[in-house]
Amino acid sequence: MVITNSKRYSRQGLWSLFLICALPLHLWTIILALRDFSWVAERTNAWDAIGVFSYGMVFAFVESLVVFLVLTLLGFLVTKHWNQNQRFALLSTLVLITALWGMLGQLYFLLGFSLPEVLISFLTRSGHPLRIMYAFSLMMVLPTILVPAYLILKSGRALRFMQDLTGRLSLLASFYLSLDLAGLVVIVIRNL
Amino acid sequence: MKNNLHRREFLKLAGLASLSYALPRLVMAPGNDQASPGSKNILVIVFDALSAYNIPFYGYPRQTMPNLTSLADRAVVYHNHFAAGNFTTPGTASLLTGTLPWTHRAFNYNGTVDEAFLTRNIFHVFQDRYRLVYSHNPLVNTFFDQFITDLDDYIPRENLFLANDGLIQTLFSHDEDIARLGWTRTIKRKEEGYAYSLYLSHLYEDYRERKIANLKPLFPRGLPNISGDNYFLLEQAIDSIGSQLSTIPQPYFAYVHFLPPHFPYKTHRDFYGRFAHDGYQPVQKPVDRFTQEKSPDNLLKWRTWYDEYILYADREFGRLFDALERSGRLENTWIVFTSDHGEMFERGISGHTTPVLHQPVIRIPLVIFEPGRQVGEQVYKPTSAIDVLPTLLHLNGQDIPEWVEGQVLSPFDQTSPIGERSLYALQARNNPKYAPLSQASSMLVKGQYKLTYYYGYDQLGETKERVELYNLDADPEELEDLYIPQSKMGDQLLEELKSKLEEVNQPYL
Repeated sequence: MVITNSKRYSRQGLWSLFLICALPLHLWTIILALRDFSWVAERTNAWDAIGVFSYGMVFAFVESLVVFLVLTLLGFLVTKHWNQNQRFALLSTLVLITALWGMLGQLYFLLGFSLPEVLISFLTRSGHPLRIMYAFSLMMVLPTILVPAYLILKSGRALRFMQDLTGRLSLLASFYLSLDLAGLVVIVIRNL
Repeated sequence: MKNNLHRREFLKLAGLASLSYALPRLVMAPGNDQASPGSKNILVIVFDALSAYNIPFYGYPRQTMPNLTSLADRAVVYHNHFAAGNFTTPGTASLLTGTLPWTHRAFNYNGTVDEAFLTRNIFHVFQDRYRLVYSHNPLVNTFFDQFITDLDDYIPRENLFLANDGLIQTLFSHDEDIARLGWTRTIKRKEEGYAYSLYLSHLYEDYRERKIANLKPLFPRGLPNISGDNYFLLEQAIDSIGSQLSTIPQPYFAYVHFLPPHFPYKTHRDFYGRFAHDGYQPVQKPVDRFTQEKSPDNLLKWRTWYDEYILYADREFGRLFDALERSGRLENTWIVFTSDHGEMFERGISGHTTPVLHQPVIRIPLVIFEPGRQVGEQVYKPTSAIDVLPTLLHLNGQDIPEWVEGQVLSPFDQTSPIGERSLYALQARNNPKYAPLSQASSMLVKGQYKLTYYYGYDQLGETKERVELYNLDADPEELEDLYIPQSKMGDQLLEELKSKLEEVNQPYL
């Protein structure tokens, strides 16, 4: 990402931001779709399993677009006192960390964890288990976003680290987009 | 809707869901009564995964089916009726074709019957009638799709759902099944807690939940559903089917397949908690080699939820029956009440996705309501799901084709072969469709004896085999394996079963 103080978003910056949006969504889809592959293949055939994988990739692309649009709109709310690189780094951090939490939330079910008995009985006794869980989640998630955001704004090293990281991750995301294209071809063939 | 129904026509019909819901609840208006003398309607009602084990008139201590119990007093009740497989695909295919799974070959998950059965099925043999079908269960719809040229009225299953994936169907109409599976895995976190999507799945779930928010108080455990969020109301399905039956041309042959009491067990609030504190303790049984490691407490919980869900199914069946009776249609309609397979909550196993063929998962109800019959009759001879088709043909005065493997049920045919008949069932979910059965659970019931032969499973040790023999009269709970103590009988039955397996494998060697 080119370092610039312009208040407008550059095309390259937007492209990088899109790739960062696409990365976690595609990564998670690939992990779960590969996990499902044999399940589908055993019940029908490998071509159907490839079909499910392809739909997953294309839906992930659509979701990436939606998240990117939301994030871009959100970007307009960010103060212009911060330069474009800081704003992109902030938005990238936001999407990566929330995606990470999303994955952790699903891993909880995927790996079959369950809350400790003591915690469950505490929640039951509280009378407001949902409120407590939401408050607890917010307490956990918020610092993981605020602390990196603060560092990016205050430390040049943190900003450079984030820029390097997004640069590398963008490369990986570009590869995933080629899988989307392959998935789209599969879907078109299946629907002919 | 006749012959080669186009997908778009399906979707048009799917759009009528709200209309069918708006129909008056079970107003049975006099329809076009075109029945010729002696030719009666036939209505086959299947409640998915309903085990005979959990029905009071088969000996269950909980009163799970008060309506059916009361109605059974004027019906023919079959006490030892067996499904031909332990899940929907083989169980339903056998009911619809009158043949065993190794013949029709629909024994894989969402499998299809062999092409020969496209003209050898219950819809084809009743082509003189108006044929209507409906099923909540997509595995049954797979068969309807195969038999579509023999259906006059194929009600799309989405019609009776509260919300559906119509957009995905429209966009990917030529690849609907896989597109929908891809969509489900992407967006629906509901049942498993995870999905491919990290953000939109939450929004989607919120949107779907809002759509059914006003119905939630009626179902404390959540709304009845299939695939997580394809919500449905059994009341709506019953009302819609009831209304359609009152208007379609007669004589008709109708096959309706409702999902309850299949998992997830989401009963209506009227039955919620009904058995929670009744003190019932099921018979304790040894943990099976194929255990899913469910604890006794967990099994009792699921059993209780299942039993309470049966109450809901029973009430709705009672409503349909009452409406048919009030409309006078009962005088002219044979009703067959049955299931496709059972459900079990014992030996560490819950549900029916299991290799085992113990009684709760394979013994199903069969109750036949004969027009005008006021006196009940009990049949204790073992019978099979494959007998339903020939029996209905016999009642319709038609010849039984040679490809049918079942027999006409007593008491409708007094000339049925006397003596002990061999009844079979098969579970071969993982076996290739057109290959010898190399991993299977097979069952042979003969008289009072039941032999099960499991083979090809890694869980069974070096021999990969297991044989069990039970005397169902003396030991209906299958607690005492007699294969060793009564080895002569056991070996004799095993030899017969193996010889049958050899015979059915022959074409695929």
